[in-house]
Amino acid sequence: MSERRGKRAGAMGAVASTAFKVLLPVLSIFGLWYLVIYTSELPRFVIPDPKMVLLSLVENRALIAEQFMHTLKVAGAGFLLSNVLGIGLAMLFVSLPVSRNAIMPAAITIRNVPYVIIVTVLALAMGDGFATKVTVVTLAGFFPVLVNTYRGLRAVDPIVLDRMRILDASLWEVFVKVRLPYSIPFIVAAQEITGSASIVIAIAVEWMISRTGLGYVINQGMMAYEGELVYAVALVAAVFSFVVYSVIHYLGQRLNWAESNDP
Amino acid sequence: MSVPVVIRKIGRAYGAMQALADVDLEIGAGEFVSFVGPSGCGKTTLLRIVADLEKPTSGEVKIGGANPKEVRRQKKLGLVSQRPAVLPWKRALDDVKFTQKITQRVGYPADQLLRDFGLEGHERKKPGQLSGGMLQRVNCASAIAHDPELLLMDEPFSALDEMKREEMGEWFARELETRPRTVLFVTHHIDEAVLLSDRVVVFSASPGRVYEIVAIGAPRPRDRSFRESRIFIETTARLRKMLFQDLEAGR
Repeated sequence: MSERRGKRAGAMGAVASTAFKVLLPVLSIFGLWYLVIYTSELPRFVIPDPKMVLLSLVENRALIAEQFMHTLKVAGAGFLLSNVLGIGLAMLFVSLPVSRNAIMPAAITIRNVPYVIIVTVLALAMGDGFATKVTVVTLAGFFPVLVNTYRGLRAVDPIVLDRMRILDASLWEVFVKVRLPYSIPFIVAAQEITGSASIVIAIAVEWMISRTGLGYVINQGMMAYEGELVYAVALVAAVFSFVVYSVIHYLGQRLNWAESNDP
Repeated sequence: MSVPVVIRKIGRAYGAMQALADVDLEIGAGEFVSFVGPSGCGKTTLLRIVADLEKPTSGEVKIGGANPKEVRRQKKLGLVSQRPAVLPWKRALDDVKFTQKITQRVGYPADQLLRDFGLEGHERKKPGQLSGGMLQRVNCASAIAHDPELLLMDEPFSALDEMKREEMGEWFARELETRPRTVLFVTHHIDEAVLLSDRVVVFSASPGRVYEIVAIGAPRPRDRSFRESRIFIETTARLRKMLFQDLEAGR
């Protein structure tokens, strides 16, 4: 009887601890928010009351949900293409080292060109549609995937490569059974960066050139001085980015042999 | 199954640096031959040439009449490296099976092999859960899982402490009785070479050449008591004199 009571108390303690861990940052954010509201003289459309933001979120839920789906499509397609391009190029660089010298300078250049310029050029060339937005997200996201995957594919212990050669393994076997598993921790790290960055970049591109998506809603909110709406969209974007990061982190831990502790 | 190895006039240069010069050796089928010598004398380079991991600048190697590449293609080579070449995400049993899967040759049942290597109860452990000695035993098991005819060992026990190294040496000598094969063994430890080998090849450095070949006049396998025998004491003393006096004086 007392054992059951002890177990129940332990479970309740764990729930309370988790709730505390989740609530503490939320409470800190709201605390800081109210502090700024009451101590600064910023107008309400610049820093609206959190209650008004939540109210705007409820009132505009249909609009936000609809535009959120547009952003999700752009971010999702861009994220996917970032991986195809990044992992594909990394595989090419490792298999054909001369290709690295040919392509890497271009990749670094793209990486260092301000996105505003890329967006402008692409919008002029391709218009302001889905393809342009996905291209920008892809160009912004592929570089961390490329660099990390390339590092991972080359991180194989040379002794293991000697073993594979002695066993007369084919190039494909070396790639699939050794290089790729070795690179998983590196690829996982890249996903954590690219996953949430895809959402942020998608919203930024929508803000600049689009007539759809959360970025466009922010734009409209700003023009109408509806600070509550802007903050409501920001809240949705932040929560979604956090969820994406957490899911990738969780899946990454399951895939990552370097972090797997299962006996 | 084991094969003879013939090494003729092997030379290896890296740019202007001559690592090996005119190395001639004949190793019989089933023989255990150790390479000892000062650092940089080309012992490991010679082993890598036999393994077809490096090409010689001159000379040739024949393993059972074929060149190293052909023998490697026939999956008749095994390599035990200084550090374990195990895959960090594979359990011990899967690592042994991995060798068999790649070579498509099952020399011995993987679980039986691990039991014989003293790893019963550790088959499902990953490298991070095994001690250094256990890991090197998994490495040895994986290296012979496809029953190679020629086993090449590059300082396989040097990362272990003195006691573990001796234990592994004696254990490996017994293991070779169960599964005999030709072995080329690179080591820095004279005791280990004398305990395990039929012959010890002493290399001189800069460039690496065969300085002398010393036959150990006692049958294998030898246990711990062999260390107290006259042959062991005299041979190790002779090898020490060669390595620490004659070769040093010749520099």
